[in-house]
Amino acid sequence: MSDRVAIVGIAQSKFSARRPEVNYAEMGYEVIEQVLNNTGLEMQKDIDNSISCSHDIWDGQTISDIGITDVIGGHLRNEEKVAMDGTNMVLYGAIGILSGEFECSLLMAHTKMSQTNRNIVNNDAFDPIYTRILGFDYTSAAALQAKRYMYKYGITQEQCAKVVSKNLANARLNPSAHNMGEYSVGDVLSSPVVASPIHELEIAPDTDGAVAMILASEKKAKEITDNPVWILGFSNCYDAHYLGDRDLADYMSLQKAAQKAYNMAGIKNPRREIDVVELCDAFSYQELLWSEGLGLCGQGEGGRLLDSGATALKGKIPVNPSGGLLSGVPENVAGLNRAAEAYLQVKGEAGEHQVGNVRIAVAQGHSGFCGQHHCVLVLGKE
Amino acid sequence: MKRNVAIIGGGQTYHAARRHDVNQVEMTNEAIRRALDDAQMRIDEIDAVLVSNMEFFEGTHMTDCWMADGSGAYGKPGIKITTGGTVGATTVCVGAHYVASGLFDNVLCVAFEKQEEGDTGAILSSVAHPLWGRSLAGAAVGYFAMMGSSYMAAWGAKEEHSAMVAVKARQNARKNKYAHLKLDITIEDALNSRMLAWPIRMLDMCPASNGACAMILADEKTAKDRCKKPVWIRAMETAHNEQFELDWRDVKTKRPIFSKVCASRIYKKLGVSDPAKYFDVFEVYEPATWAELVWYEDLGLCKPGEGFKLIEKGMTNIDGPIPVNPSGGVLSTNCIGASAMLRVWEAALQIRGDAGGHQVPKDVNRALTTAYGGTNWAVMTALSKTLD
Amino acid sequence: MTKKEKELISIPITVNVPYRFAAGKYMTKFLMELKNNGKILAIKCPKCGRVQLPPRVVCAQCHVKNDEWVELSHEGTLVAFTIMYLPLTDPTTGKPHKPPFVYGSVRLDGATSVLDHLVNIEPTMDKVWVGMRCKVVLRPQKDRIGDLSDIRCLEPLPGQKKPRG
Repeated sequence: MSDRVAIVGIAQSKFSARRPEVNYAEMGYEVIEQVLNNTGLEMQKDIDNSISCSHDIWDGQTISDIGITDVIGGHLRNEEKVAMDGTNMVLYGAIGILSGEFECSLLMAHTKMSQTNRNIVNNDAFDPIYTRILGFDYTSAAALQAKRYMYKYGITQEQCAKVVSKNLANARLNPSAHNMGEYSVGDVLSSPVVASPIHELEIAPDTDGAVAMILASEKKAKEITDNPVWILGFSNCYDAHYLGDRDLADYMSLQKAAQKAYNMAGIKNPRREIDVVELCDAFSYQELLWSEGLGLCGQGEGGRLLDSGATALKGKIPVNPSGGLLSGVPENVAGLNRAAEAYLQVKGEAGEHQVGNVRIAVAQGHSGFCGQHHCVLVLGKE
Repeated sequence: MKRNVAIIGGGQTYHAARRHDVNQVEMTNEAIRRALDDAQMRIDEIDAVLVSNMEFFEGTHMTDCWMADGSGAYGKPGIKITTGGTVGATTVCVGAHYVASGLFDNVLCVAFEKQEEGDTGAILSSVAHPLWGRSLAGAAVGYFAMMGSSYMAAWGAKEEHSAMVAVKARQNARKNKYAHLKLDITIEDALNSRMLAWPIRMLDMCPASNGACAMILADEKTAKDRCKKPVWIRAMETAHNEQFELDWRDVKTKRPIFSKVCASRIYKKLGVSDPAKYFDVFEVYEPATWAELVWYEDLGLCKPGEGFKLIEKGMTNIDGPIPVNPSGGVLSTNCIGASAMLRVWEAALQIRGDAGGHQVPKDVNRALTTAYGGTNWAVMTALSKTLD
Repeated sequence: MTKKEKELISIPITVNVPYRFAAGKYMTKFLMELKNNGKILAIKCPKCGRVQLPPRVVCAQCHVKNDEWVELSHEGTLVAFTIMYLPLTDPTTGKPHKPPFVYGSVRLDGATSVLDHLVNIEPTMDKVWVGMRCKVVLRPQKDRIGDLSDIRCLEPLPGQKKPRG
């Protein structure tokens, strides 16, 4: 029994555009083996349950956790699969430990975007009768959201492009990233338009990879490590499905999730108290919009926050020092990678992309198109 | 668990092969409304919504997101869980964790499947590894056929015993107004039904159903304040099985097997030595007749190799000493994502005494449910009327 | 109700998602040996010694990495079977296999795991039994393509009779 849950270890694969040499079980085992080695824990002796995260349609296998049962330690043991963004598996893992059922849980998210076609997979997330038939995918839906956001608050194309310049420059300092470089705003805006106003460089690239994490109760965590990272707050929330039911420049579900997570963590003033944020910039404009939803600035001020330099690597409240999703992180894995990066920042182990001394880090993930469902995690030292 | 968790309400749809009058969201909403009515609760009193189904079955990705309006999840926390056939029960476990954590008081668990909207045979074949056996996989039928032939060879059971299970299920289903296959059949009918894969005949297999189930879980205080007949979740246990070695069909296997491992762990948690006496009713997940007989043995309701004698003697009939699947079970209703949750809900109805036509004619204080899915995975849930 | 149902519409959609599956390190070796040398390789767990087919990265039982390759015999024993009356896809043609046919699990000599496949034999109960000795039939080497369909079927070894009783 425990009232606090800690992250006691993580492992991340090197993300890359294609991993044709491994199947997804082998890819998952790379990080599982590593996280067990790093923490010195043993599957049979220490791990009470396992949680995986991916999607059948991405994996091309019905009940796709079958494919990773062996490597995640599922044989004759407990394994559950969360089929949404990976932030939610951290949330659920923490709830499992808080329930008193488990002391130590292994999480692993994996996806190989290279093995199928994202437009088709995304299209299947639209309801089959009303919107799927229009041929929507996440990019075309995001284009509507970007346009609406820019129209409503006067966010400019340059501001969106600047997110890309910032994140891809940060990515050069992150050994896990595979998409990086020095890009000017002009470079971004001269890349091909995919769905106006979104340019090719503003879209997180297809990526293969896996991330593993181990959560533990307070008692167990203290046996494992002297400086665990505590999960201080978490929450998630759904918005409506149909795009026409939402003001796409609004972020009700993110705001609600963030508010609850902050309350739980005792954060009263997010702008002052949060030291670093890792969020899901699946498209460039989303970093600005989600920054607002997370309360890092006021409504419509996401562009100005960026322009002020506050979200830069050495800014007041750095956002995506890792390079974010734009630097190449698979769908589903994205949120667990956000949490892992936030963990590294709190530990002071982010290497070259460490932002300084971090007391409180926030990780955000979204599921569904245009961020229908959001999950927010608050991690901290104490 | 840190807090006691009770089932304070639930509901299900009328299960059927065709539901062209509703889409997936509307169908699921029917069960949710019944659950809310049953718990006398409004959706705004629900703290989180947990959704489960088999996402590949109807070809829709992120069904929880599509459901958000119909499930009542709009503006609320929630997650989507998928673990195959077990998922309805897994979602109950997840819901119980939510409540026990102390962070949520009232949680809505939702499970559904609209099987007519996808090709289940083809989809189940893709359970197999893409490069190993997928093109050959005989859906579930081939697997249970081998289990049946192995069972008969090992223990001397006859095809008649399988037929007895088929008949019991459908005769029980006739007493259950929500069940899908309410067939007034005899043993001869079962033995004369079309051969699918020897010894499995049409009536030995579960149907493809459309339907949903929803349950509301709550903490002890809410349950006692708000619910006349709370049903307590006393223990939960999950055991998966490795990907490629599917030993359940080999009934004499010496290796530890998911079903027995799962049962022994849940019995240990509860201090159960004689499950047939400890529990008053069982709802097991039997995709095929032979699986029910194997469940009898793996749950320890009889000795290994004697499962067929239980059915022969009528021990597991609705009015027998060890009633199993008075609802008609999965053999009568299989909306896959919901099937495992239906086991838990049906067991809760038995404990409440609210099962109606298929209420077992004795006091029900404790019930055990099993779920089955994946490559031989089980989730078990033990329920009770009181907390002692 | 029936009448009303006729007024309701349902929309047919074929969800066609293309995939390209990585065989991975273990299955690549298995498939290449099968294709080039007609060998059936399994992987042995360093801890429990189970000889596993298909080869895979981790022994699920011991949770250790598998790394010892073992060549299996092409002969084995039928441990379970069914006569299938459903038209399953024949992997060698991609078309439905005309039922009835025998579908069996064979344990190749030296393996812990079983191999499930079509058994090329007359589909009657007199001709097939648990314990029957079988062999694997491969595609002729020149026609092999490097996937599992290079194993065409199982075939009973000649000169066997179904035991009585």
